[in-house]
Amino acid sequence: MTEKDIPEWLLKNENYFPQSDKDTFINKSITSLLGVLSHIRRQSGHKTDLFGINATFSVIFTILFIILLSVSRSLFFVITANIYLLLILCLLKGEDIMVILKTSFGVAAFTFIILLPTALYGNFYSITMITPKIFASVTAINILSRTNRWDSIISALKTFFIPDIFILVLDVTIMYIVLLGEFSLDMLYALKLRSVGKNKSKQASLSGIVGTMFIKSKEMAEDTYAAMRCRGFTGEYHTYRKFKFSFVDSLYIIANAIIILCFIYFGRYFRK
Amino acid sequence: MHIPDNYLSPSTCAVMGAAMIPVWTIAVKKVKKEVPKERIPLLGIGAAFSFLLMMFNVPIPGGTTAHAIGATLLAILLGPWAATISITIALLIQALLFGDGGILAFGANCFNMAFVAPFVGYFIYKFIKERVSARKGEYIGIVAGSYIGINMAALCAAIEFGIQPLLFKNAAGLPLYCPYPLSVSIPAMMISHLAVAGIVEVIFTIAIYAFIKRVSPGMIYEGAKQKIKSVYAIIFALICLSPLGLLATGTAWGEWGLDEIKNVIIGGKSLGFIPEGMKNGFSFNALFPDYSMKGMPDAIGYILSALAGAAILIIIFKIISALKKGKPKNI
Repeated sequence: MTEKDIPEWLLKNENYFPQSDKDTFINKSITSLLGVLSHIRRQSGHKTDLFGINATFSVIFTILFIILLSVSRSLFFVITANIYLLLILCLLKGEDIMVILKTSFGVAAFTFIILLPTALYGNFYSITMITPKIFASVTAINILSRTNRWDSIISALKTFFIPDIFILVLDVTIMYIVLLGEFSLDMLYALKLRSVGKNKSKQASLSGIVGTMFIKSKEMAEDTYAAMRCRGFTGEYHTYRKFKFSFVDSLYIIANAIIILCFIYFGRYFRK
Repeated sequence: MHIPDNYLSPSTCAVMGAAMIPVWTIAVKKVKKEVPKERIPLLGIGAAFSFLLMMFNVPIPGGTTAHAIGATLLAILLGPWAATISITIALLIQALLFGDGGILAFGANCFNMAFVAPFVGYFIYKFIKERVSARKGEYIGIVAGSYIGINMAALCAAIEFGIQPLLFKNAAGLPLYCPYPLSVSIPAMMISHLAVAGIVEVIFTIAIYAFIKRVSPGMIYEGAKQKIKSVYAIIFALICLSPLGLLATGTAWGEWGLDEIKNVIIGGKSLGFIPEGMKNGFSFNALFPDYSMKGMPDAIGYILSALAGAAILIIIFKIISALKKGKPKNI
């Protein structure tokens, strides 16, 4: 091939500097989607529930714990509850601790800022009580979700007489959050990669992505229904679970009994 | 707009949860009638869609981003009852598994975001669509519906916050839960929602609706063809607006004198009593009146602080080692 054969425009030196464009909203959407997906993946990676505590007990006591916290008017109980959570936290893995504390501190800091004006007006009760309470309840829920497989948390809901069909819907939801999430993630990547320089229609493409996600979800729903139908699904769904009671469970129950006793004790003796 | 636990009193949460039970029951019945019983997976996938909808960030003027709820959009796409169920499930997953929004406040959050927002939005959309000609009416309906829908939800949340200091106080008259009265909570919530979140919601809803309408028009929920009588629509609007009415009559809500408090009308009934905390008066000079630490046995205090100290140390070391593990090792 001689130089003649090459078209002239190929030989010219081009100076193309793509104009920089803002795409924070794409990046933010990608990060929040990735956050959700990795959160779901991580928990399904657990072979069994951490600690081996029966998920039913975890769910019951976590909810009870949050109710006690919310009802309590004793700062001492709130402090004890926080210490109890810290003790559980230090049994977890470092990565988990970091994620849990990040959320808890975030929410608590937000609450602190929100309540700061009341403190300036002399109401210290709200800021000293509500901030640690919020810290504790957010931590408690995150510990529950980090230490238990989600399917076992969901099937534990059966203890609260939640109908089977609802449990099925929850299961399907989590599954499809992953499927639809991955699907829209791919579209967001494509949008990001193909927008070179200034792309004014980028924002319009976002509605395309969400719209496509909706259409896709409808199609997926029909496919799932057809597949379930083919396998003999008649609309009835039963959740079965084995109920095991282990040594760890009894320890867990004892720990929670102590918390309840603390609630009664501090509530009775340390209030004016 | 996700209310975390401890901002609302447990009794408020119970009332809101109880208010949602008939809504959920009717929603399940309606959906069962419209959607064949076996088509349950559709609900789950609808919920997954509504969950993911909140993950999308929309750019707003000023260089920041915000995310929409998409309640009105879901109501228009799936029908209001199915939207209620979908958003409820999405909220449950957020509360139980992601720690976003409180467990006790779940009922209140559902009331605002899974009931008020989609229903107000949907009925305003439908009301306008049936009265204004064809395409124009449709889009005006979506704009008005999504804007008013999200703002109504915000107003409900603001009212839930705002009645806390009025109803729940300790013996010293200090609020037990959210300390801000309606005069603070309503402007605080409404300004941000009227100015920013409402507009984000409108842009988001209209853009996605237009896209789906263009690409696959058959997928949008048609709903029964019955006309909504104007009277019902007005009554519905008035019910939604009634909290505002309370604000307008007489003394500003939340700022009554002691003698007025007795005559405050809540839900058609007058309060009839003076909240105990108010009768005793405010005493701001008592800093920590409710939880005296005097008389606490030293031993328990020592044990508790020792436990806390040990736990905090372990946590710090674990975080440090986790951070080290995360970094690539230099070879």
